[in-house]
Amino acid sequence: VTLKPGTRKLALTTHVVSSVGWLGAVVTSLALALAGLTSEDEDTVRAVYLAMESIGWFVLVPLSLASLLTGLVQSLGSAWGLFRHYWVVYKLLINVAATIVLLLYMQTLDHFARVAAVASASPGIPDALRSPSPLIHSVLALLLLLVATVLAVYKPRGVTPWGQRRLAQQRGR
Amino acid sequence: MVEPPNTDASPAGTPRWVKVFGVIAAVVVVVFVFLLLFGGGHGPGRHEGGAGPESPAGHTGPPPGVEHGENQP
Repeated sequence: VTLKPGTRKLALTTHVVSSVGWLGAVVTSLALALAGLTSEDEDTVRAVYLAMESIGWFVLVPLSLASLLTGLVQSLGSAWGLFRHYWVVYKLLINVAATIVLLLYMQTLDHFARVAAVASASPGIPDALRSPSPLIHSVLALLLLLVATVLAVYKPRGVTPWGQRRLAQQRGR
Repeated sequence: MVEPPNTDASPAGTPRWVKVFGVIAAVVVVVFVFLLLFGGGHGPGRHEGGAGPESPAGHTGPPPGVEHGENQP
């Protein structure tokens, strides 16, 4: 399937916007996670975890799914294909893995938000809200998305065996 | 994905960067699986005790069944 130039540009634009937006939202989550881990103010820490949950459901999840969907359209609708070039395959694997981990991790963020929303009988920041888990997940997500971005920009050479067969078929016609 | 792929210039065989990335990915997956199996679990329950979010002491744990892979919304 080859998209028309106008449609391909639109698909590329939405893919870049959703992917870069996802990256930016991960950086925001990382900053919030850092604030939640280091702040000594209880209200700030609670607010951070409530904000992280909202950013997760309303920004990270939609952008990750949009990035995955538009990436599929973009690759299948162009000469790059989905499984012809190693960099596209790696980008697909990164996108799928990051989206799955994000969807699973939203349960953890939901849990943290529930803890943050309930007032404690004892004063101080609840132990549960001192977890390094959000920071670790944000850093790992950032690394993955940076690798995906570098792959998309540099497009390192390398054709998969599937891609070589398709290329040979096209040349044989 | 704007420029057309330059497949003519691709060398035969698997490029070195693909192998390096593959090894790194395999190591990450093995470490992740190892942590899941032997690292005391994964998810909110790993970081705190066993009480619910309404625990008066604030030492909270996950609600029943809230671990990765369960009760997925």
